[in-house]
Amino acid sequence: MTSKKHILPTALYIHIPFCAKKCNYCDFNSMVSESRVVDRYLHALSKELNTLESQYTFTTIYIGGGTPSLLSAIQLEGLLRGVIRYNPTSQTQEYTVEANPGTLTADKVRLLKEYAVNRVSLGIQSFQDRQLQFLGRIHSGDDARNAFSLLRNAGFKNINIDLIFGCPEQTPDDWKKDLEIAIALNPEHISTYALTYEEETPLTRDLKNEVIRKLDEYTELEMYKTAIEYLTLKGYNHYEISNFAKSGYECSHNYVYWRNTSYVGVGAGAHSFIDGMRMSNEKDVFRYIHGMHENKKDVKSFRECLPQDHFVSETVIMALRLRQGITNTDFYERFGSTIQDQFGDTISILRKAGLVSYDDERLKLTEKGLFVADTVMAEFIYI
Amino acid sequence: MSTERIRNFCIIAHIDHGKSTLADRLLEKTHTITSREFRHQMLDDMDLERERGITIKASAVALKLVRNGQEYNLNLIDTPGHVDFSYEVSRSLGACEGALLLVDASQGVEAQTVANAYLAMEHNLAIIPVISKIDLPQSRPYDVLTEMEKTLGISPEEAFMVSAKTGAGIDEIFDAIIKHIPPPKDSSDAPLKALIFDSVYDEYRGVIIYLRIFDGSVKVGDEIYMMKTNRSFKVEEVGVFKPKMVAKDGLSAGEVGYCIANIKSIRDIKVGDTVTHARERAAEALPGYRPPIPMVYCGIYPANNADFHPLREALERLSLNDSSFTFEPETSQALGFGFRCGFLGLLHMEIVQERLERESNINIVQTAPNVTYEILKINKEIVKVDNPEKVPPVNEIEEFREPIVRASFVLPTEYLGAIMQLAEARRGNYKGTEYLSEKRAILTYELPLSEIIFDFFDKMKSATRGYGTLDYDFIGYEHADLVKLDILVSGKRVDALSTIVHRKDADMKGRKLVKKLKNEISRHLFEVVLQAAIGSRIIARESIRPIAKNVTAKCYGGDITRKRKLLEKQKEGKKRMKSVGNVEIPQKAFLSVLSVDE
Repeated sequence: MTSKKHILPTALYIHIPFCAKKCNYCDFNSMVSESRVVDRYLHALSKELNTLESQYTFTTIYIGGGTPSLLSAIQLEGLLRGVIRYNPTSQTQEYTVEANPGTLTADKVRLLKEYAVNRVSLGIQSFQDRQLQFLGRIHSGDDARNAFSLLRNAGFKNINIDLIFGCPEQTPDDWKKDLEIAIALNPEHISTYALTYEEETPLTRDLKNEVIRKLDEYTELEMYKTAIEYLTLKGYNHYEISNFAKSGYECSHNYVYWRNTSYVGVGAGAHSFIDGMRMSNEKDVFRYIHGMHENKKDVKSFRECLPQDHFVSETVIMALRLRQGITNTDFYERFGSTIQDQFGDTISILRKAGLVSYDDERLKLTEKGLFVADTVMAEFIYI
Repeated sequence: MSTERIRNFCIIAHIDHGKSTLADRLLEKTHTITSREFRHQMLDDMDLERERGITIKASAVALKLVRNGQEYNLNLIDTPGHVDFSYEVSRSLGACEGALLLVDASQGVEAQTVANAYLAMEHNLAIIPVISKIDLPQSRPYDVLTEMEKTLGISPEEAFMVSAKTGAGIDEIFDAIIKHIPPPKDSSDAPLKALIFDSVYDEYRGVIIYLRIFDGSVKVGDEIYMMKTNRSFKVEEVGVFKPKMVAKDGLSAGEVGYCIANIKSIRDIKVGDTVTHARERAAEALPGYRPPIPMVYCGIYPANNADFHPLREALERLSLNDSSFTFEPETSQALGFGFRCGFLGLLHMEIVQERLERESNINIVQTAPNVTYEILKINKEIVKVDNPEKVPPVNEIEEFREPIVRASFVLPTEYLGAIMQLAEARRGNYKGTEYLSEKRAILTYELPLSEIIFDFFDKMKSATRGYGTLDYDFIGYEHADLVKLDILVSGKRVDALSTIVHRKDADMKGRKLVKKLKNEISRHLFEVVLQAAIGSRIIARESIRPIAKNVTAKCYGGDITRKRKLLEKQKEGKKRMKSVGNVEIPQKAFLSVLSVDE
């Protein structure tokens, strides 16, 4: 038996670090590789999957990237078969695969269906070609619509669309149009991400060289507000900072991160949180492959035994991303104290400023707090 | 040993003219230290001294030299070269009979060369002119000889040429020391009279005093008496510096060494005081020194109010070895409890601040430095003001006075125009130009001290491409049309941001200051209004827009550590700030008052 605190992980993340082309804004762990390398990587991945504790049962699986849909039909089938062998589908409630409209084909869609994938997250970002070009995406607006139909026609009943807003020169009207087209497709879930300028991306380089200019903060805020108002009006529940879903279609896998409970990640650079220990795998694809082939049990490059105060902080911070926030009942069950025992002073300051609401049971961001969530969250950091 | 074979001397020079290197060479040639012990700039004790390449405190070392079968005892007293520490130079000079006046063969005569040479002449020391670094390709020793003749009246025949690097000319220096510097007077039989020319605090042994014995002798077990502080101590140990302390039975007239006498605090003694015997006292004390006057003040506050006591302890520790640094508790509405600290000059302030940060683990907030003003009140009372906060209300002031210095610039003539322009812009009063040669001149100005305490030195350096040098002397207080400039943050006056400025600059400085603060203070969740005011008149206003949106869209997959680290950075930044009302003001903002020129 494991202790009450360390519940066995129920979520599995599988990382596919390959893309047809790296997008201008992306700093995720991905690269452009030959098919041969992908084969060797998938082999290493299946090895890692087989090293996992056999008592794990995953109720959610998420294959992300990179671009999982970049895999050839044969490679994809191999991967899906390996996953099913390890974790029979009867136990899996939510099984998501990320796909790029530019690499998703009818063959691959059929395979996803065949191997019990029940949720597809489509990286559309925008339906407007000018925007897509700016972002460095490989697909067009039409490709996006076609990919969506392909999935729907194959019988997928849970599809997510990723959209990006806040690009330089994007107008609030452009954004509204993207939202309208998305709604017309009637997806079950929509994620809207504000464009982020990450270090060492072509986008940030252009910004530093003054080739592009950041959209001003007020327009970006207006766009964010538009998404919240419009999608809520169309029956989507704004349940997390960047996420909207029809009732019952909230992403269970991501809830694991937001609730700061245990999960297992496999593949290059994947993160795990098991038994109070944060870990991440070797990021470099070649070193990862090499490591797995050396018959190592794992290829961790980072381990941190999370101290209790950090754990408490993180839990509140991640939970504040959810619009429902965190309840005292839940908090007490996990940490044996109340939220105000831990953060009484902070909460009273933030409440006075109108940034959080707290009614002795539930702590959550107000709308005002939502727009400056990072500033609010920093107050819950222990230093 | 009779005093016949003792020579006490110091080396005086402009900063960077090779003083410490020459001292190293003298140590090496006399085998005072073995090459195994040798590290460059032996006499620069503190890490900071070695890092910055400057000597801050005086130190002493005894060299043993054999010449013509005779053993000589040479005491070398090292001196600081920076203008801030000229008072320490005069302390060293008082303990010597002669001085090596060192001038860099490429740089030539500089401001502190002149200042220190005059100091040595005032002390009636025998001066041995030495031209250093003659091995460098750009050296121009003959021009330098001319400059020395013109400025200091030193005959070219008297000068020696050396390269401390190659060792060339060092032996001749030893001969000159023996020949030209008079031995101390032999008065071992007279009652003890010894000058305290420096002191250091040692954690285990207490205060170690540096002594030059003028009359009589002192030995272990003696009861000594300090003539100014009227205190008696029992001598535990005496000795000489080689350069480490080496104990001896006693020290007698003409000698230089140290004395340990169970002295607990540096406050129990006074540098410049005369040591005599408790029983058989000297009739009168040696002239001693005038105490150093702090010229520059600033507030030093703990960033975190809870660090007040640790900060006090850290300041006390620092002052143990630096009697010219003063501090007194003060309170600021904006910054809470802290200290008003006095320094000899800007470099001194920087050094103390750097040591404070290095040697204690306290985040400090420092206010902009200011000079001491004199105010004549309507009721004819004169008050000294070392903090803009202490300026009395306008209707009580009859006259505002500020300290004036006489500044001498030594520089190539092509930069005369640039420096005159700089000095005029800083309210300077032209006093004259004296030519050292066709190419170099000494330019003299009277300037308000407040105009030169901050960036003036750097500005002077860049205007002369590094060739200009500066020395200054306080000459007195003069009337000036000054006002107090206040800063309001969201309607609240922040006392720590107040400054005293000349009335004609007030509007311009106020405008620039609020602009500068606008860039220093980060955005808040609400609008922050910044205003500059003189009395109740607002002269400038800026506002900082509130943060509209600050929310990370992604949560980086399972990489929660990354998210936490980003937020930690945000929070860590806040810790180094001081919150005034509900506005977080970074430490840098308190100093922005200084650089409103740019």
